[in-house]
Amino acid sequence: MPTFVYMTRCDGCGECVDICPSDIMHIDRTYRRAYNIEPNFCWECYSCVKACPQQAIDVRGYADFAPLGHSVRVLREEEKGMISWKIKYRDGRIKEFRFPIRTTPWGSIRPPADYSAPDATSFESSLLAHEPEALKVDTLPTLPPSLKNKV
Amino acid sequence: MFTSNPFADLTIFFSPLVMQVYIVLMILLVAIGTLFDMLHKGSARFFVRQWRRSRATAARPLSGMDSAFLAAGTLLKEVATSGEFCNLKRRISHLLMFYGFLFYLITTIVMVFVYPLPATPTPAFLPVLWNIGALMVLTGGYWFFFFLRVDVAKEGHSPFRLVQADLFIVSLLVSVSFALIWELVQTTGSLTATQIVFGIYMLFTTLLFGSVPWSKFAHMFYKPAAAYQKRVEQANGSSNLPTPADVNHIVR
Amino acid sequence: MALFSSRKTRFVDSDILIIGGGFGGCGATYESRFWGRNLKIVLVEKANIERSGAVAHGLSAINCYMGMQWGENQPEDHVRYARNDLMGLVREDLVFDIARHVDATVHKFEEWGLPIMKNQETGRYLREGRWQIMIHGESYKPIIAEAARKSASEVYNRIMVTHLLMDKTRPNRVAGAVGFSVRDGNYYVFRAKAVIVAAGGASHIYKARSIGEGVGRTWYAPWSSASAYGLLIPVGAKMTQMENKIVLARFKDGYGPVGAWFLLLKAYATNAYGERYEDARFEEIKALVGAYAEQQPVPTCLRNHAMLEEIKAGRGPIYMQTQEVLDSREKEEIGWEDFLDMTIGQAVVWASQNIDPRERPSELITSEPYIMGSHATCSGAWASGPEDCAPSDYQWGYNRMMSIDGLFGAGDTIGGSAHKFSSGSFTEGRIAGKSAVKYVMDQAGAAPQVDEAEIKRLEESIFKPLENYAVDRNEIVAGTVSPSYLAPLQGLQRLEKIMDEYAGGISTFYVANEPMLKRGLELLTMLKEDLDHLGAEDLHQLQRAWELNHRVWTAESVTRHTLYRQETRWPGYYYRADFPKLDDTEWHVFTASQYDPKSGEWHLSKLPVHHIID
Repeated sequence: MPTFVYMTRCDGCGECVDICPSDIMHIDRTYRRAYNIEPNFCWECYSCVKACPQQAIDVRGYADFAPLGHSVRVLREEEKGMISWKIKYRDGRIKEFRFPIRTTPWGSIRPPADYSAPDATSFESSLLAHEPEALKVDTLPTLPPSLKNKV
Repeated sequence: MFTSNPFADLTIFFSPLVMQVYIVLMILLVAIGTLFDMLHKGSARFFVRQWRRSRATAARPLSGMDSAFLAAGTLLKEVATSGEFCNLKRRISHLLMFYGFLFYLITTIVMVFVYPLPATPTPAFLPVLWNIGALMVLTGGYWFFFFLRVDVAKEGHSPFRLVQADLFIVSLLVSVSFALIWELVQTTGSLTATQIVFGIYMLFTTLLFGSVPWSKFAHMFYKPAAAYQKRVEQANGSSNLPTPADVNHIVR
Repeated sequence: MALFSSRKTRFVDSDILIIGGGFGGCGATYESRFWGRNLKIVLVEKANIERSGAVAHGLSAINCYMGMQWGENQPEDHVRYARNDLMGLVREDLVFDIARHVDATVHKFEEWGLPIMKNQETGRYLREGRWQIMIHGESYKPIIAEAARKSASEVYNRIMVTHLLMDKTRPNRVAGAVGFSVRDGNYYVFRAKAVIVAAGGASHIYKARSIGEGVGRTWYAPWSSASAYGLLIPVGAKMTQMENKIVLARFKDGYGPVGAWFLLLKAYATNAYGERYEDARFEEIKALVGAYAEQQPVPTCLRNHAMLEEIKAGRGPIYMQTQEVLDSREKEEIGWEDFLDMTIGQAVVWASQNIDPRERPSELITSEPYIMGSHATCSGAWASGPEDCAPSDYQWGYNRMMSIDGLFGAGDTIGGSAHKFSSGSFTEGRIAGKSAVKYVMDQAGAAPQVDEAEIKRLEESIFKPLENYAVDRNEIVAGTVSPSYLAPLQGLQRLEKIMDEYAGGISTFYVANEPMLKRGLELLTMLKEDLDHLGAEDLHQLQRAWELNHRVWTAESVTRHTLYRQETRWPGYYYRADFPKLDDTEWHVFTASQYDPKSGEWHLSKLPVHHIID
């Protein structure tokens, strides 16, 4: 279901151009507003729909198999860690859902360099960062030597 | 120099009536151009159709009072403060251009209609405001043109790659630039130079107002209408967007 | 870009270059920084790491989590599971290695803010199935991208890497990579002491079931343009199991996920007459693959096979009886969130066709084939395994290093390690990241050298499609039909048709034979030659042109491997009509290939499958 942009809502800010994983949201030459240049490479990932500050982008199901008259719209509220969906069926039924998207503040991930530097022993070992603690078991599993050479 | 009415000094070339008729023509061009654009594109029919749909699917029909409040809100926020822009730089540049153009335009009209001759001395604040307005337009405008236009800022195009969408900003910038250049040249006293530069100023001003059906100029009518429509849809429940969540899942 | 363009060449030097900012690449970036505090780590991505890769929508489940802390599974169990699902052929060392680390990755994800659903009674992660846990994963990728941004020295978005660079002083050693900016068209030369390729696997190698816009709704991301393989094959990296195509049975058209429906909600599939058909086909499947048919859970390919046979017998459409299981609001939410977190397009299908899953069943179908290394198949580069676990002929010093010195890989790039999914790919990235740091420290003082002439040659080659278009456009009045250049989409459509008709696509019910495969190679050869005549109108089309290039290389590899393996190992993924049965005597092996860039020859061979877990 490829994306399309509402003429009355788009103010040509370019957030969609920045985010699109397929590089298909670009700027129209007459209106300097966004549009989908290649619907056949649109995955309907909704990245642009969620990123648009004006909610100017919507999706119309792929013409190959989606009859008209439906809408699946989203409101992603980063600051609340929530996403809300409103689904309108072709026959008029409405379904609404809300789900959490994050439990920690944006930007709060501790950089790996902030942890104390690993020592030589762990560097030589098979342990990855934060192990074995992050595994929540005592030791990193390995295979006994006899098994390793078994062919 | 900035305190004297540059239009008054033009009366050695034309009568004030010519200048006044030109201004009226430009206003007409904008009105006719917008009407033509709307008719040609059917955008008026589209807006009416949207308004009808919104009313038909409204969960909470709005009263006249509600609608009036929404209109006032639109005027105060979207129109007066360019409130629709989420990007601060774009908002500031638009405010500069918007208010700058308003000062420049209104003072032009007052100077040409009320103080048309050197004999009727123009209060200094008028040309000062005219210059400030022009400078605001150029500050906001050149900033926008070289750095903020989305095809430049986000798509990596050169600022000199011009497309139809640039018709408005280019004609605006060249017109207002030449307004100031003309004002400067006129003070040197060279009649030929003044005529040439004034001619270019008039050319691009006419282009600016005349190209309304093909440029983004008409957005000054469409955008507030669209902003008002957006508010109405949200208020009367006809929007198919989800409502904001009232919970916060982030643990701070 | 005009002929006399202002194109600049930008050199970016680093200790570690990570190509691809998906789950594998972000994992590699995080881990490299942890172990290499003072190293310069550069991450380069074709799109924007915030949403790039296969997890753009988000995900509704993590499909690789042991739960060792609760004694739910041990890594050896996962090896047995992956091995069974792949009909015996996985790199058990690589699978074990990921399985033993993946729990730590998942715990960090939760710490970073990924909401993981909990089982209300036990307090543990809510299991979808034995290996899978349910998440509220809409922002899975943005969360991971944040971790990567906080680890890298520099992140380059919108730069497509097109070729690897080799060291001119030492043979068979990587020195960096080249590419171009999709935004400003500048040429980028990355010079690095170690390179980690974590790019996308291959969608759009085979003709899709949809035709028009619908072609965008492939199961695997359309921007997974086979760079994982297209970067490696031309420089001679050893590849493995490229014939191991994956075909998914999913909700029709939208390709929405079925995992939560089958495993958690306990829905089941029937034919059009409401009959459960899988068990009925057990004997015929056993005749094809022997004892493998008796495995539990039933291998993915065999379930596909049963569905295909049922459809061919004229008893389709196949339906998932969703209405049987949605008996509460909570279950309805799980069913919808499953789609909305990861395949919103399926929700759009339901809304557009008036399908309420509480009221009516939904069609299932098998997809077109894809090539990847992180899901239920394991195509990719042949890589060295973990020093403490791998048999001696599976390791040559650095874990996840390929057959080329200094070249590491993670995610879809690495072959043999199936069933890693998102958490496993990130984990494999971490493994590769630490290995790359070790490699760089060990190599101190012996930085690779790039060849100036090679850089110039590659620059010309990379931008040639723009030149082709600009010049040859003058030949025709207008339109898309030119006798002198091919638009990238035209080339892609030809590729998809060739693979579909000759290498086991949907139009032949995934069946191929030797004459078909050889004919396919003939046509692929001509397509490969035509790649010199691609015409790109702008930078976006130039990106499409190089995506096609990587896909064509991959398709050739797939066809050659499919020709080489003379058996049908995975009925339901593809069939060799001339060798219809599974043949453990001859083919209980990995296939391996290496392209020789000097001679242009392909060399295919067998590699042993060692079972280190009983």
